[in-house]
Amino acid sequence: MIQRLLPFATLIILFAALCFVPNFLSETNLSSVIRQTAVINTMALGMTMVIITSGIDLSVGAILAMGGLLGAMAMEKGLPIPAGIATGIATGAFCGFLNGFLTTRLKINSFIVTLGTLGIIRGLTLVISNGLPVHQIPPGFSYLGEGTLIGVPFVLWLLLACGLLVHFLLEHTKLGRYGFAIGSNPDAAFYAGIPVAFHVTSIYAICGALTGLAGMIEASRLMTGQPTAGQGYELQAIAAVVIGGGSLRGGEGSVIGTLVGAFIMGLLANGSDLLGISPYWQQAIIGAIIILAVSVDELRKRSAV
Amino acid sequence: MLLELKSVQKRFGGVTALRDGSLSVRAGEVHLLMGENGAGKSTLMKIVAGMQGLDSGEMLLRGQPVRFANPKEAAAAGIAMVHQESLLAPHLTVGENIFLGREDLAPFGVIRRSAIMERAARLIESHGFPLRADWRVEKLSPAGRQLVEICRAIASNASLLIFDEPTSSLSESETREVFQIVRTLKQQGAGVIYITHRLEELRTVGDHVTILRDGATVHSCPLADLSRSQLIQHMVGRDLGALYQREPIPPGKPLLELRHLQRAKILHDLSLTIRAGEIVGLAGLMGAGRTELCRAIFGIDPLDSGLILVDNQPLPLHSPRDAVSAGIALIPEDRQRTGLATQLPVGWNLTLSSLSAHSRFGILNSSLLAATESRFIDRLRIKTAGPTQKSVRLSGGNQQKIVIAKWVAQGARVFLFDEPTRGIDVGAKTEVFEVMDSLARDGAAILMVSSELPELIQIADRILVMRQGRIAGELPRHTTQEEIMALAAFEQEELSL
Ligand SMILES: Nc1ncnc2c1ncn2[C@@H]1O[C@H](COP(=O)(O)OP(=O)(O)OP(=O)(O)O)[C@@H](O)[C@H]1O
Ligand SMILES: [Mg+2]
Repeated sequence: MIQRLLPFATLIILFAALCFVPNFLSETNLSSVIRQTAVINTMALGMTMVIITSGIDLSVGAILAMGGLLGAMAMEKGLPIPAGIATGIATGAFCGFLNGFLTTRLKINSFIVTLGTLGIIRGLTLVISNGLPVHQIPPGFSYLGEGTLIGVPFVLWLLLACGLLVHFLLEHTKLGRYGFAIGSNPDAAFYAGIPVAFHVTSIYAICGALTGLAGMIEASRLMTGQPTAGQGYELQAIAAVVIGGGSLRGGEGSVIGTLVGAFIMGLLANGSDLLGISPYWQQAIIGAIIILAVSVDELRKRSAV
Repeated sequence: MLLELKSVQKRFGGVTALRDGSLSVRAGEVHLLMGENGAGKSTLMKIVAGMQGLDSGEMLLRGQPVRFANPKEAAAAGIAMVHQESLLAPHLTVGENIFLGREDLAPFGVIRRSAIMERAARLIESHGFPLRADWRVEKLSPAGRQLVEICRAIASNASLLIFDEPTSSLSESETREVFQIVRTLKQQGAGVIYITHRLEELRTVGDHVTILRDGATVHSCPLADLSRSQLIQHMVGRDLGALYQREPIPPGKPLLELRHLQRAKILHDLSLTIRAGEIVGLAGLMGAGRTELCRAIFGIDPLDSGLILVDNQPLPLHSPRDAVSAGIALIPEDRQRTGLATQLPVGWNLTLSSLSAHSRFGILNSSLLAATESRFIDRLRIKTAGPTQKSVRLSGGNQQKIVIAKWVAQGARVFLFDEPTRGIDVGAKTEVFEVMDSLARDGAAILMVSSELPELIQIADRILVMRQGRIAGELPRHTTQEEIMALAAFEQEELSL
């Protein structure tokens, strides 16, 4: 139990330590940390569900770009802002559905399928946009990523809502329970009469939808639909899940863990920025943290009841 | 004394697996280790084999205190173990598994594969096991894997061999061969520790018996000094009374009907009918197609032709889902691979197949779930720290009870029990039989596959014997083992002539 709280403790210690760094506690800095991590956080929530089924989605970075681009294009064409956001989410959901459909129907490992769709989706995004960003976006759209509600960045409320939703799905619905069972032992799930393909596909679609939303947040923060957005984000999302106690073997993972994992990475990046540590070093540090977190977690599992 | 264990204690978090485990084994002796599911037999033996450490107590090997940090050290000290749950490498071949970790090495660590395969083939042949050295282990049935584990243990030339329920999924002839192996080992002067729940097989092999109850050694004496009922009484701590006797009830309308099932090389023109309230036994040798029949009925393997009817409705059986929605349940013989999500909590496994009944619009009703979980833990007397305990932590027999409970909770009407009492202790067996009986009384149709003939005779209303994919014949209740064996083996003897 004590070790279970380790990611939590790490986060708190990290936060406490950073309090001594000048400017860290300023309102602008804190809200910028929240805004920066919101995109990865939202993606990581979906990734948590996928990883619990012992799958993986390498295409989320590309889905983020595709969702952001199509959403921005919809608004450029004159659609109202909510409709634009919905377009982004729907695009993501469709791409996720495709991932799930291909993994379950072709019975190919999700690593391979999403490695393929990563290329396909990224390529199509560049084809559609001709490689050029979309700029003609209504100014009100910036509220999504940069706005404030009751003194707190709007994205934090959004993240909270998404977190609650995914937590509810995982812990209190059939879908979530089946997800854990499929990830833990797919044969036993199949023998138990669970419609495995349907539930796996649904989970990939949900992951896609959350990624589409993350794409809209990113687009709103940059106020452009960037066809090259989100490169390498998939690895950060996976890292957040894993640092938070998710297992790539499936059957394990939680919303709280993932959020903590993403904030640990966010704080590390922010702290290094404030301390003037070069981004080159930051990459190395985060890599080391991932290995450290996972080995501690393995130790815990081996010794636990 | 070859091996002495004194007051061994072992705790897993809050669970005490062993309070006071003591055991003394001589060289040249077959020592039986008995006890209910969860008594701590496997845990004690895993400590001897170096797979787990002990918290306190003493372990002496040939008079010297020892502690093994890992299985390798135990193996170096001459200890080999046949595990209850298969620990083989599924993607390797039978031969590679038998010599895994003990390969003949050519220079530069290159494995001499052909030498290994040849030695493995000779070993298998000398015991007449239905295996081949180049088969991949993942394709094997539990019985096949058990035989590989046994070959692996004897190939190690150990001086202390531990057999943890080696025959739980074997049929008559292989079981006899295992006894022969045990006798040979004994003659060669090795010490053998033998764990089993099959009371019938004790007398044929055992010399001495030690009984564990709730993690403590309660009795140890020469086997000859103990009667069957005394033995049971020591194990369960109470008098179980007479053998479980089932009163058959008049069968109702046909519930499960199979018409001319055909599957190339596996099932041949197989027809049978089971009525509501009936328990039909299915006997046969290893490879007769009993498990394959269950898999076909459950929609896992496709049929070439034939019809399956439940309640006179022909079923479109393409997947277990179709079977489940028609009210069919399969308790598979291979619980670790296909019966349980072992990493998930006990409660989750219990209700995995009945989540729809415990939810509305896909949202789980947690109080209803909790009620069902504790009801079935009580009803089947599953020994667990609670519904949130990981299933893998339970003893083998208790895991089996979870699989059964899962389907009882689901409310199926047609039950296919494939070796349901595999690895279950005497008390729990009676409980499982009682569950089967009450299911039958509630109008379920039950097909029970079992290699334990005394059990089939005890429980089934009638017994079908399968041989090479066909129903070779039907025997009434209260038939004899000899009659069943005659039907099951007939054609094979004929062929070998
Ligand atoms: N790794 C573990 N973690 C927690 N509890 C464990 C673990 N291994 C065993 N136990 C518990 O220790 C007890 C003894 O288990 P063990 O497997 O030794 O029983 P057993 O006598 O071999 O039973 P069976 O006849 O069913 O195989 C059980 O209550 C079991 O739940
Ligand atoms: Mg055991």
